[in-house]
Amino acid sequence: MPLFGKSHKNPFELIKSVQEALIAVEKGDKKAEKATEDLSKNLVSIKNLLYGSGDNEPQIDIAVAQLAQELYNSNLLLMLINNLSRIEFEAKKDVAQIFNNILRRQIGTRCPTVEYICTKPEILYTLMKGYEKHDIALNSGSMLRECARYEALAKIMLYSPDFYNFFLYVEVSTFDIASDAFSTFKELLTRHKILSSEFLEANYDNFFSEYQNLLNSGNYVTKRQSLKLLGELLLDRHNFTVMTKYISNQDNLKLMMTLLKDRSRNIQFEAFHVFKVFVANPNKPKPILDILLRNKEKLVDFLTKFQTDRADDEQFNDEKAYLIKQIRELKPSEDTRASSSNQLSSQQSSSSSSSHHQHPSA
Amino acid sequence: MELEKCYFKDGYLIDDESNEPLSFHRVNSVEILYEKKKKRAKFIGNYVLGDMLGEGSYSKVKEVLDRITLERRAFKIMKKKRLRKIPNGEQNVQREIELLCRLNHANVIKLIETFYNEEKQKLYIVMEYCVAVLQELLDSVPDKKLPIWQSHGYFSQLLDGLEYLHSKGVIHKDIKPGNLLINTSGTVKISDFGVSELLDSFSQSDIISTSQGSPAFQPPEIARGCESFHGFKIDIWSSGVTLFNITTGSYPFEGDTVYKLFENISKGEFTIPSDLDESLSSLIRGMLDVDPDSRFSLIEIRNHDWLRKKLIKNCSPVTIPTRPNGDALRSMTVLPYLQNLHYPSESSIDIWKGSYSTETSDQNKNENTSANYLSAATGSQGKKKFCGRSTTSHKSSKNKFFGCSGIKSFCQQS
Repeated sequence: MPLFGKSHKNPFELIKSVQEALIAVEKGDKKAEKATEDLSKNLVSIKNLLYGSGDNEPQIDIAVAQLAQELYNSNLLLMLINNLSRIEFEAKKDVAQIFNNILRRQIGTRCPTVEYICTKPEILYTLMKGYEKHDIALNSGSMLRECARYEALAKIMLYSPDFYNFFLYVEVSTFDIASDAFSTFKELLTRHKILSSEFLEANYDNFFSEYQNLLNSGNYVTKRQSLKLLGELLLDRHNFTVMTKYISNQDNLKLMMTLLKDRSRNIQFEAFHVFKVFVANPNKPKPILDILLRNKEKLVDFLTKFQTDRADDEQFNDEKAYLIKQIRELKPSEDTRASSSNQLSSQQSSSSSSSHHQHPSA
Repeated sequence: MELEKCYFKDGYLIDDESNEPLSFHRVNSVEILYEKKKKRAKFIGNYVLGDMLGEGSYSKVKEVLDRITLERRAFKIMKKKRLRKIPNGEQNVQREIELLCRLNHANVIKLIETFYNEEKQKLYIVMEYCVAVLQELLDSVPDKKLPIWQSHGYFSQLLDGLEYLHSKGVIHKDIKPGNLLINTSGTVKISDFGVSELLDSFSQSDIISTSQGSPAFQPPEIARGCESFHGFKIDIWSSGVTLFNITTGSYPFEGDTVYKLFENISKGEFTIPSDLDESLSSLIRGMLDVDPDSRFSLIEIRNHDWLRKKLIKNCSPVTIPTRPNGDALRSMTVLPYLQNLHYPSESSIDIWKGSYSTETSDQNKNENTSANYLSAATGSQGKKKFCGRSTTSHKSSKNKFFGCSGIKSFCQQS
């Protein structure tokens, strides 16, 4: 124990005083101000215990184990997260750091904190709701992403009804919150390949009808990021079934064709990388083939002139050339020949405008 | 005595320039000096050349410095003539380039750019710089193995990289310690995609029919000569052999000839040294399962107890061995060339010997700054990723020389 400086509380006492301070802060009476200060101080001590401070090394395992055990027993993590907005600015960050450290704790092959949170999923739900309050959104986000590293926790989040709130969070007007939410969203969908592909297969309709809104978003960043993520999801082999389903739907093709003509070059470019999957598919279903056939000439023409200034990008040009060749060589399947010939013109405009007003439920 | 040693050392450093087999040249008597050969700086594209890092059957690899970004890079130099002599050489190189263009992951080697010099008939591939090969670490210790905790770290990075490759439909087919590079921060990078295969994104299964990987790392289905096999399970097997190799220092299957070896592999019988703990042994057994269908998948490996476990660093790690020339830090070898370029008169001072004490510290500084540049660059790459596939376009926009069409024609005109 150091000769000078503050007296050191043991883990048990620390948790106890944090708990008391939190209760006082929750009540919000006249003691609250003093309690908030105490709370911040004690949180710093807990953080130092876990991470070490200045010359002090982080505490040995026994103290950390005691601390973690007390945290579970007292249910303090949930209390802290519930009251996160009432905590001072710096202390909020300390909470996130303590949370993330405790979460990573491992005994042999077990992660006790992960197991603990599995029994208290409210922690995750509350953290997800954190995106609704802008003073705690980023702190909640950092904790959520730490949780998303663990498959068991990611599963709880993906399958909770609140997951669909992410479709709102990624579009909020505050840019930093929206992008933080998007990275958590992406992490949940891409980190654990098997988990997310099962989720996408099982919830295909719900998920992609919501996703359609992102692709049609008026917010440039949302639109572009979601388009890029879509490409990543579809081209991941784990999501093979999802891809096959997605590229069999004509509305999706129409949407991509519309996006190919977006005002923004970057959106066009991202759309190209999804569009190519429709064309390259060796087993195109009839509706898809029909659309491509109807627009054959226009598409060839369009692609030939499409972003020709990317002459340096070999991969892009190869793919473009491949698509043009594929579209040129498209042959109507036997039964489509009659219907397609009279609709050859004026189709692209109608197909694109229809997808403009498309409702996600389609 | 002292002088002799010095001379000897220096010979080591210099052997990279004079690769023409029959170039006689006369030396005037005044030039026969007991002075070391000067390191004349050579520029190719935007790169300053350093020493040779290694030589493979396809290419020479040299260390270079990007003179715009000051990043350390590796330069693969391939001669067209040489490539032609290797069966499938040109196709393999072309495939490797095409594959690498599509990949972007922390545990997979990154391709920076490629260019072709028509005159010299040489192809240059610029890659991320890695300081060592995992095999070098193994070779540097008497028992040829790494501490379990260190193997654990490398192996889990290998899994991350492999999961990414498989998600992109890439089967590496040649996973082994000799193809795993390590950078200065200890990150494992899967390299050498010369025999890899990219699956068609619409084919439902991963069944393939060719494999050209290293014999000792081949699975029984290939050793037996099956016509077709599951591609992803090949990588699982060879990662299993790799894990066996780095933790025990030996190979699960051996044989005096390839036939003997394949015979042993197809029997699938091997013994795990008794000093490996039960969980690691069960992981290895699961990965080296003769039946590809019951062989572990990546997910099963990841969820295996041995990988979930946090291992205690109970002994010191095997470190990157000192270079043959005595440079323990593996400092940037471009520096002496630059030194010679800008301060030719001082260049007789031997930097390596540290006779010039500030020099060595300078070197270290330099390495640090280049590391900083590197992290800054990766940071900006991360940001760029967000705005489209500009990483690739950026790559190729630097491709001023001949573009990739040059490479193609290079590979096709045989």
